[in-house]
Amino acid sequence: MSFRANDETVLNSVAELQAFVKGHERIHVVGRRSKTALHQVGADVVLADLSDMRGITEYQPQEYTLTVLAGARVSEIQTALRAEGQYLPFDPLFANRASIGGAVACNLSGSRRHRYGGIRDFILGAAVVDGLGRAFRVGGKVVKNAAGFDLSKFLVGSLGKYAIMTELTFKVFPDAPAFQGLRLRYDSLDEALNAVFRCNRSPQELDLLDFAPSDQGWSLLAGLAGFQDTLPQRAKQFVAMMREETALLDAMEVEDDGTLRDPLAGLTGNFLVKVVISPRQIPRFDALVRDMQRRYSAGGNVAWLATEDIGALKKILEAQQLPGIVLRGMVACPLIGKPLENALAARVKRVLDPQDKLV
Amino acid sequence: MTRMNHPFIEALGKIYPADRLLTRDVELLPYESDALTAFQSKPGAVALPVNEAEIIDAVRLCHRMKVPFVARGSGTSLSGGSLPIADGLMIGLNRLNRIKKIDPEQRIAVVEPGVINLHISEAARQYGLYYAPDPSSQSVCTIGGNIAFNSGGAHCLKYGMTSNHVLGMKVVLGDGTVTRFGSESIEGVGIGPDLVGLFVGSEGLFGIALEITLRLMPTPQLYRTVMAAYDNLGRAGDAVSMVVASGLLPGAMEIMDRLAIKAAEASVGAGYPLHAEALLIVELEGEAPQVEAEFAQLRAVIEESGAFEIREANSEDERARIWKGRKSAFSAVGRLSPDYIVQDGVVPRSRLGEALVKIDELKAEYQLDVANVFHAGDGNLHPLILYNGREAGALEKAEALAGEILAMCVDLGGSITGEHGVGMEKREYLPTMFSPVEMEIMRDLRRAIDPEEIANRGKMFPSGEAPALQMRGMHPLERQGVISRE
Repeated sequence: MSFRANDETVLNSVAELQAFVKGHERIHVVGRRSKTALHQVGADVVLADLSDMRGITEYQPQEYTLTVLAGARVSEIQTALRAEGQYLPFDPLFANRASIGGAVACNLSGSRRHRYGGIRDFILGAAVVDGLGRAFRVGGKVVKNAAGFDLSKFLVGSLGKYAIMTELTFKVFPDAPAFQGLRLRYDSLDEALNAVFRCNRSPQELDLLDFAPSDQGWSLLAGLAGFQDTLPQRAKQFVAMMREETALLDAMEVEDDGTLRDPLAGLTGNFLVKVVISPRQIPRFDALVRDMQRRYSAGGNVAWLATEDIGALKKILEAQQLPGIVLRGMVACPLIGKPLENALAARVKRVLDPQDKLV
Repeated sequence: MTRMNHPFIEALGKIYPADRLLTRDVELLPYESDALTAFQSKPGAVALPVNEAEIIDAVRLCHRMKVPFVARGSGTSLSGGSLPIADGLMIGLNRLNRIKKIDPEQRIAVVEPGVINLHISEAARQYGLYYAPDPSSQSVCTIGGNIAFNSGGAHCLKYGMTSNHVLGMKVVLGDGTVTRFGSESIEGVGIGPDLVGLFVGSEGLFGIALEITLRLMPTPQLYRTVMAAYDNLGRAGDAVSMVVASGLLPGAMEIMDRLAIKAAEASVGAGYPLHAEALLIVELEGEAPQVEAEFAQLRAVIEESGAFEIREANSEDERARIWKGRKSAFSAVGRLSPDYIVQDGVVPRSRLGEALVKIDELKAEYQLDVANVFHAGDGNLHPLILYNGREAGALEKAEALAGEILAMCVDLGGSITGEHGVGMEKREYLPTMFSPVEMEIMRDLRRAIDPEEIANRGKMFPSGEAPALQMRGMHPLERQGVISRE
């Protein structure tokens, strides 16, 4: 065990973490601090740094499962998977900086989650230490399991406030050998949204489907993944369908330079916020956030916004009854907008952290 | 609870009209067991609500008067999950069967808990959408039951289980608290702990789902199905590993052994090769150009895998015929024997071969026939243990063999249940998967959410309340081939 600062301890093992939890009153977990807004805690809180608990503990490509320590950097995991032609289909964000435990605790999936689902669809199990210092496992390590209460899914988005994840098991998938990005241009949000609805009524299997305002109207960003030989035909069919049935201004194939798949590209404002939204809620919401940088991801099911005025966004989310989480910027509380459910969650807290140690 | 004049029944009578509150023995008889007919128990009363308020009022009454209750849909649970509690209340949810909304443009459906699984896909078909989880009883089982037991089906490797298709819920907890979580967004809860994920699969021990928002999927443009016959079960298992190693992600991979093949063939005449020791069915689906390219790769892998006969489905009819045999396998095997037990343990896919060898050894040791039909893609075994319940000790012997198979699944790093849930049947095995601390935490969770422990009391956790096992033969629907134990 080594100390980096007065109030921060780097923990290297589950046993150390258990002892740490038992020995402190108020604890906040940090991984690699890629989401700065989440770590504004009071002076009485000590930090448990898990970034040294890293590495892949089990990976059998033929099982399509992977078990890693929670402090492992997402990009390191992606590199190991790529060597076997596989990937994390939920496409975790901040890959170069974030730990996998942080990605799960904050529930941050990227644009490619559109194809197969988000973190909750790929987490199979976890090892945790709860607020009483008990070390135990939740879920399982196989791709199909219906035994016991599924606390592993509960951990997704739990922000380390119920139990601290030390190890995680995921289902992984073979990645497609080739990817084709497309940028489609529309005059207005309504037309872009109609194009999303058209996609949703088609059997087209898109790897990503995002949209955002651009210099000239709105851009719809679509991605197709599969065998290289099939992509030109599929892209052609897709664009033909969109030309025929939506008010498409133009369509172009785009190089995959990373920004296409990164929903946060270009969102440079001081405060970065994730909002859970449904496509039908977007027109009313967007009219209120026109002066903010934004991109709607996963077919319009997540909004990413960057702004200098977090107070204004907070009020808008409260009025619209939409939940948001601030990921970047100095805020007293990162959870904004619609309050989280607390009738059921509070009871889990009572069991896993009755002394309210984990904050 | 004594029937009729009991104060609880009187109070229930203020919530439910007489025609929807069953208390006479003859009325209660159909509710005595579910699809796991080995267990039976008579409820004190059956309430048949027609709206949410009636469910909530009944649960609150149960909480107040400390009367245990079981929510039941169509009663197709294979783990005894919807077995009544002796003299408790059964809340039958079949009348809450409205599909409240299908929004094809957002790919969601909002439904009541008594909606039948298949009805959602039927309602969504006109929009080119479907509801992916497909337990074999999907033509009769309800979404409420699917949620309680996190039902699966043949497509879980690629598409996940029920939990992965539920976005939001309104529920009543065991103490009568009504709460909502999740949303119409594909993110579901999205921010904060994933309460949907916790509630789904809680086996009715947390409460009752009142309204559910489901994710719908686009109907694939094209299916390509291949059936391959092998002279050795292990070779079929190896073929599955080869398919996976080649980087393909099939929607379904199913294996049947010799006994299952013969039974299915005798039952529906699917055209299966009768001299095969194992049959592998692999299905790809998706956008046509991609599926055709994948199918060429799949064909090459299967040709290399040592199959002595390979048959491709070249029409929807041919595909349906291949699947018909597979889907009838359970009831067909069931007809070979007066009684059978089926387990649904899971092993890591790479250890399927080991598991099958072990089952063969156990079969010899116990001198019982075992047919194997399984979801090979996700390692979900379905050994059918055949026995004659009229022979003294036969059920106990079959149970002991089933227990050894479950223990093997845990030893190999798998699970005691892939999709049926623990229910009554596997309660005693739950501690083989979870440590004492984990068991204690799950029990504490249950008590924190349902302090009186009235919601589906006696299920999932080991307990001394189990009714005695009895030999009852096949479920009537099973005999008709409507449902099967997989």
